[in-house]
Amino acid sequence: MKKILIVEDELAYTKLLHDQLSTKGYEILEAKDGKEGLEIAKREKPNLILLDIRMPVMDGMTMLELLRKEEAVKNTKVIILTNLEPDDKIIGKVVKDQPTYYFVKSNTKLGDLTEKIRDVLSE
Amino acid sequence: MRPEPHTDFVNNQVVEDFNYKSIFDNMLDGLAYCQMIFDGQGNPVDFIYLKVSKNFEELTGLKKAEGKKVTELIPGIRETNPELFEIYGRVSRTGKPDKFETYVAPLSRWFSVSVYCPKNNFFVAIFQNTTASKKTLKDLKDAKIAAQNVLDDLQVEKEMLALVNAKDEALLASIADGVIATDRDGRITLMNQTAQKMIGQEHVEVQGKSIFDTILLLEEDGNPVPHEKQPLYLALAGTTTTTDPTTEPVCYCMSKGDTKIPIAINASPVLLNNKTTGAIMVFRDISHELEVSRAKSEFVSLASHQLRTPLGITKWYLEALQKDNYIKSASKTIRDYFSQLAKSNERVLSLVGELLSVSRIEEGRIKNDPKPINIGEAVYDIVKEMQPFAQSKKIELRLEKKQEKSLDMFIDPLRFHEVIENLVTNAIEYTPPFGKIDVVMDKNDGVVLISVKDTGVGISVADQSKLFTKFFRSQKAIESNPEGSGLGLYVAKSYVEDWGGKISVESNKGKGSTFLVRLPINRTKKGGEDL
Repeated sequence: MKKILIVEDELAYTKLLHDQLSTKGYEILEAKDGKEGLEIAKREKPNLILLDIRMPVMDGMTMLELLRKEEAVKNTKVIILTNLEPDDKIIGKVVKDQPTYYFVKSNTKLGDLTEKIRDVLSE
Repeated sequence: MRPEPHTDFVNNQVVEDFNYKSIFDNMLDGLAYCQMIFDGQGNPVDFIYLKVSKNFEELTGLKKAEGKKVTELIPGIRETNPELFEIYGRVSRTGKPDKFETYVAPLSRWFSVSVYCPKNNFFVAIFQNTTASKKTLKDLKDAKIAAQNVLDDLQVEKEMLALVNAKDEALLASIADGVIATDRDGRITLMNQTAQKMIGQEHVEVQGKSIFDTILLLEEDGNPVPHEKQPLYLALAGTTTTTDPTTEPVCYCMSKGDTKIPIAINASPVLLNNKTTGAIMVFRDISHELEVSRAKSEFVSLASHQLRTPLGITKWYLEALQKDNYIKSASKTIRDYFSQLAKSNERVLSLVGELLSVSRIEEGRIKNDPKPINIGEAVYDIVKEMQPFAQSKKIELRLEKKQEKSLDMFIDPLRFHEVIENLVTNAIEYTPPFGKIDVVMDKNDGVVLISVKDTGVGISVADQSKLFTKFFRSQKAIESNPEGSGLGLYVAKSYVEDWGGKISVESNKGKGSTFLVRLPINRTKKGGEDL
């Protein structure tokens, strides 16, 4: 069973994604911030991480940077899910940190996201 | 031996005769030897010219005067010049000489006269015709009066000018903006206090110096602005230029010692008979405005992100529910309510999105991620996407491509999509049912032209000028589509101009509107020649 780690501080998002994705047959892991997310990622080695940017304790971009330095998990696929518009700084980082995808939550349909998740995981 | 008394007498007589005659004939003054005539009461009433000098006729204009009475020679003289009779009468009676000047009207001449009495009842008048000198004097006097009048006028004008100058000076002094005037070569001729304070130099120090040497104008990054790009240079070339970073992307700074002051500039040519005789530059410190503007944008940006989170959550939950059988199998009322909820949520989300775009535009960080795309295909896709919306309003939406050649461009596809979609959406919103919309694409001289023509409500001329400004909504627009934010065209204009293009509108009220986008094919960054 493919493992998806959701790193998100808004529990309403986490709950919905959890419900929607578990019914599609994925195993779901949850973290409330980047620090927790990094720990779980290292321990559980998920197939995909859904990563928010703005979070307390450790933000998503910092976690991504540290993740890419961990030999065991550095190639984990990441979909950034945020409400921040991508600026040049973030885009530059995401391009460098392949394989990473970027979605603005409020501009994205839930259906399109789950489709993308399926595609990414079947690559 | 004593000389013979007789001989002496004779000799003296000869000398005297000679002298008298010679004097008599050659003197420049006129001479008349006359006998006075008195009436019974002893009043002087007339006189007879017994002897006159050679030049008498020339001086008086009277011919053959000898032996004639003055009243005969000059009829009316008693009435016009009674003083002559009075003076001559007195002198010839009393023997006391006199001198006077008089104007003899019948002769139209002025005379200066010395009169004495050689024997009782006789007099000799020696006179000069002073008409010419009198006239000269009179002319002189007139000239003096005229000159005085001119001087008085000049004084009045001088005072008025001083008043105007004082007003100008007060006006300049009371302006909170810096004002500098130059001659046609850009040399400083005038400068108000604010300008002196901002530059940190006194007017006297810079008077006559080139403004380009006095004010160091910098780009935001600190590089000096080349002369030919400076607003004052453009003004001297005849164009009025305004740079205001709160509305335009260009920000010029003025260097004052080590500090950089951001300024907004307006420079205009001073025209005299259509010729540029100089220029005036008005500028102001906009540090505070920029700060406020940045703070505002930051606030909008932050607030927007915070707003997006709950809206985004709602969006996804509604979508999840919509797929659920509970809604599909629910009553029509519930399904209608549900769709209203989803629509409203989308509206707020798109408004937040527009606000974010505006704050990005204002912060000068427009997203630009250009990729090579085929404009023709992109526009085709947009028109196809919009068909259902057009059909729901029974509007015919057509696409015409005037150029078969491919229209490849290097441009940000998402922003391009946003601009064209905005224009087509507007056209559909503001066109009544059964109307027509034509999207036309053309290519001309390295410029791609995309026009969107509708048969809608049209835009008044007054509104056309405000159409592309932030939050502007015409009354007609509010009536036809109360949900619009007034940001779409502002955003579209900002993007198109960022690509070096132009967006414009032509419209007749009630007869529809045509929006035209012109994009240079080889340039998607701003700068360079105008379209």
